[in-house]
Amino acid sequence: MNTTLAHSEGFRIVNGYFETQGKVPFSFQTKAWEKYAQGYSGLVIAPTGFGKTFSLFMAVLMDFLNHPEQYHKGLKLLWITPLRSLAKDLARAMQTAIDEIGLDWIVQVRNGDTDPKIKAQQTRSMPDVLLVTPESLHLLLAQKQRDKYFKNLRCVTVDEWHELMGNKRGVMVELVLSFLKSYTKNLRIWGITATIGNLDEAMEVLLPQAAKRIQIVAKEKKKIAIKPIFPSTVELLPWAGHLGGKLVDQVVPIILASKSTIVFTNTRSQSEMWYQLLLEAHPDFAGQIALHHSSIDAHIREWIEDNLSSGKLKAVVSTSSLDLGVDFKPVDTVIQVGSSKGVARFMQRAGRSGHSPFETSTIYFVPTHSLELIEVAALKEAVKTQTIENRDPMVQTFDVLVQFMVTIALGGGFRSEELHAIVANTHAFRYMDTEEWQWCMYFITAGGKIGKRYEEFHKVIQDEEGKWIIKNRRLALLHRLNIGSIVGDAMMRVKFLSGGYIGMIEEYFISKLKKGERFILAGRILELVMIKEMTVFVRNSSGKAITPSWLGGRLPLSSNLSHFLRKKLAAATEAPSSEKELHFLAPLIEKQAELSAVPSEAEFLVEHIKTREGHHLFFYPLEGRLIHEVMAALIAYRISKLYPISFSMAMNDYGFELYSDKEIQLSQMQLEQLLSRTNLMDDVISSINAAEMASRKFRDIAVISGLVVQNYPGTQQNNKSLQASSGIIFRVLMEHDPTNLLLKQAFSEVFNQQLEEHRLIKAFERINHSKIRYTFVEEYTPLSFPIKVDSLRQSLSSEALIEQIQRMEKTNVQKKKRRK
Amino acid sequence: MKIGEQTITFNKQELTLNTQRSIYWKDQKTLILSDLHLGKAAHFRRHGIAIPMDIAITDLNRLESLIAHYQAKQVIVVGDLIHAGINQEVLLLESFRQRHPELQLHLVKGNHDRLSQQMTARFGIVHHKEILETQQIQFKHHPADAADSSSFRISGHIHPGISLVIPPKRQVRLPCFLVSDHQIILPAFSTFTGLDSNDLSSLYQSYAISDDHIFPIRKN
Repeated sequence: MNTTLAHSEGFRIVNGYFETQGKVPFSFQTKAWEKYAQGYSGLVIAPTGFGKTFSLFMAVLMDFLNHPEQYHKGLKLLWITPLRSLAKDLARAMQTAIDEIGLDWIVQVRNGDTDPKIKAQQTRSMPDVLLVTPESLHLLLAQKQRDKYFKNLRCVTVDEWHELMGNKRGVMVELVLSFLKSYTKNLRIWGITATIGNLDEAMEVLLPQAAKRIQIVAKEKKKIAIKPIFPSTVELLPWAGHLGGKLVDQVVPIILASKSTIVFTNTRSQSEMWYQLLLEAHPDFAGQIALHHSSIDAHIREWIEDNLSSGKLKAVVSTSSLDLGVDFKPVDTVIQVGSSKGVARFMQRAGRSGHSPFETSTIYFVPTHSLELIEVAALKEAVKTQTIENRDPMVQTFDVLVQFMVTIALGGGFRSEELHAIVANTHAFRYMDTEEWQWCMYFITAGGKIGKRYEEFHKVIQDEEGKWIIKNRRLALLHRLNIGSIVGDAMMRVKFLSGGYIGMIEEYFISKLKKGERFILAGRILELVMIKEMTVFVRNSSGKAITPSWLGGRLPLSSNLSHFLRKKLAAATEAPSSEKELHFLAPLIEKQAELSAVPSEAEFLVEHIKTREGHHLFFYPLEGRLIHEVMAALIAYRISKLYPISFSMAMNDYGFELYSDKEIQLSQMQLEQLLSRTNLMDDVISSINAAEMASRKFRDIAVISGLVVQNYPGTQQNNKSLQASSGIIFRVLMEHDPTNLLLKQAFSEVFNQQLEEHRLIKAFERINHSKIRYTFVEEYTPLSFPIKVDSLRQSLSSEALIEQIQRMEKTNVQKKKRRK
Repeated sequence: MKIGEQTITFNKQELTLNTQRSIYWKDQKTLILSDLHLGKAAHFRRHGIAIPMDIAITDLNRLESLIAHYQAKQVIVVGDLIHAGINQEVLLLESFRQRHPELQLHLVKGNHDRLSQQMTARFGIVHHKEILETQQIQFKHHPADAADSSSFRISGHIHPGISLVIPPKRQVRLPCFLVSDHQIILPAFSTFTGLDSNDLSSLYQSYAISDDHIFPIRKN
């Protein structure tokens, strides 16, 4: 290592601190210290639990100890973290280290949970180290004294950068960094990230202009052991969601054998269900297990987090709400229910187990249907080869930009050319042209480019010096209340009649319930008593209840995982397989091969299944539900061009179904034409309702850009006269201001995110290079059955669903008997 | 402007529901509408929300076309003519008035209407604080209870809409008229309004509006 740093006072002190802790710095930590001392910015890539925080935090301390004369009163280190819950623990760890080293620095947190008194004290005098969320940081920029806060800033660290980069919060961070650089020329900016597929891009987005920048990768790797839970028998016709419940008896002993366990599920309704299942299977769990998801009150969640690490709670059933926050709260055991649908998420969840960095993380995998065991095999290989997903940065998100511009106008104003230069320096807006910038200026000052149509619009105005500012105090307040880029569904608070807050629930779910009906939230059965002023009043109840199914709960299958999935499915036919999961599934695979076919890697399977109800076409691209939705609409459209026919559609992560009660006539040649890459995007656009999809995307855009106001000061009722849904505004703008940039953004979000144009094209290229296997079958196959069941699930109540499935199973069995 | 129509009988009167969200009462040469919410977009703009002005102009143009189409002598607005306060969009009423000096313009006050006497005089509006009654038909902003059969009422206020599922899974929401033996609830005349699509199909016959068509929705 660099000798000057190694001999410095700062290094000696920090090293001494490590010794008192009985620790030796990892090599990536010393490398980060060294590069920081040399004035670099950069990106630290390290698995959780290896002290990635200290790799940068100590670098700053060391620099201060070596060059105290360069540091001045006030904020020195700004630490941006995506999660509020994470900040508290981090601050505590930092403060402890500072105290033990003997410095007088103060570490504080500032986010939505921070006491207003502490906030006020901070605005008078900033601490030395401040931990903030991107939203709180933007709020600081909206304050008139912002110049004072940041003038002595030396370093900004962006923690969990991989969590921010792929979304609009990442763009918020990009804008803030570029803005802060305009204060401090030599500001050092560092990111901390878990391994992702596109690390070079991650650095480029974080540090687009840095002359001295470096990636520091920890050699240390966390070992992960994946242990699937096998059901006692293979069901030949697997259906999603049904198997999990049977495996609960195998899960209980795992929880009993460990001190602390996290049971990860993919959706909130699944977590509510598993919480009940565990209690039924082992009543002694009452009081020892808890439920943790984003609809549960933040205070309860905090209590749960604390009690899990202290050992008072034996297990927590959770959704992705516990994905992060790994550094200080590891558990003994992690159980994953259902596929995690992505490699990165799976590794992150697995990483929550194993107390010391060198311990192997064990994750148990509970399949919700037997086919998911193939996903275990696929995940194992993806983890082995470290094939981790990319996080694609967002660009040209004008909704975030106009919000930021108003924020800056609010906190003392800006000059157009200066702010334009700052914005153009970010990765997100590097390709923004002058016209687009001008449009954004029009939007916040005149309402839109066609100023005459927006008479009486008042938001950002020019002062005597030519600076763009906000004068109207009501507008200022409204804007402050609505800074951010996370748009939630309209949520209502759930409270007991007798007092006591339980959590939040989506308005649309509650609006479907009647008085006296029961639903499940936070593991309790609640009876709806009344709704008053955005609050749902309930009382405890018992008996049958509805589990809310939350929107957007379904995670899409990542393209990395789908690649391995196809490979493993193909490999499953090579009996006997050396892989336990595939071996176990052999009877199911055999049945699939016997009835239809199991596609090899160079093949694409299409099944034509004729049943009593009608005719079904099943396609298996294994590309994930979202892509299948687009593909299904496209193929249906292409068939309807051959002859008039209409279909109903269903899909899961493995494939999709087109169903008609009329006969579907399709030759092998016609089928190959249907799957052609030619005219792909044109046909996609004809087959979907792009305006309708864009209108849905516009919902977030409208809120972020301030066209729909989510939060009002005081009660919401006073502000009814200012409420309009994003759907109405979308329609109005389409009709009266069609060149509006925010509309354009909605359409491009549809193409990039919803249709995943890039991935769709790749999928069709692959299919075009595959041999199309077209089979004719007279009963459901193991691959088609779960898709069919999923489609039924959407239209039937659960009891009716079970009956229907039993009927289908029976007819399949009867047919078999007849044949024998 | 295309107008699709559906004629119904209500308290022995022949009324024509149309796709432009209004009712024409031929016997009385009267056009009936509700919830114009004039000035809503301007109210938004004043609060920093950029909604273009054209909505108000289009809405008023529609009204003028309807008057011309039916040769109406009288217009009854069943409340919420004005969204919030006087602004430029509301002042468009003045030029409207100049083009239709002979027209009788009645307003039954809605919860949004806050018009001073001076203003109603300026726009030539006959203002009814609570209720207007003609031929045993009451015009009132708020609908009566669906079970109330003591009178015949035409009202607005709730911006009725209906949610329909188009197979396989597409959901659409359309503005509609709600009609029972004793009551008609008008859809909001302005296109810059939301829809209340609570299912009231057990209490009312709905007439949904989709582009140029108006069609009765079968009761569940």
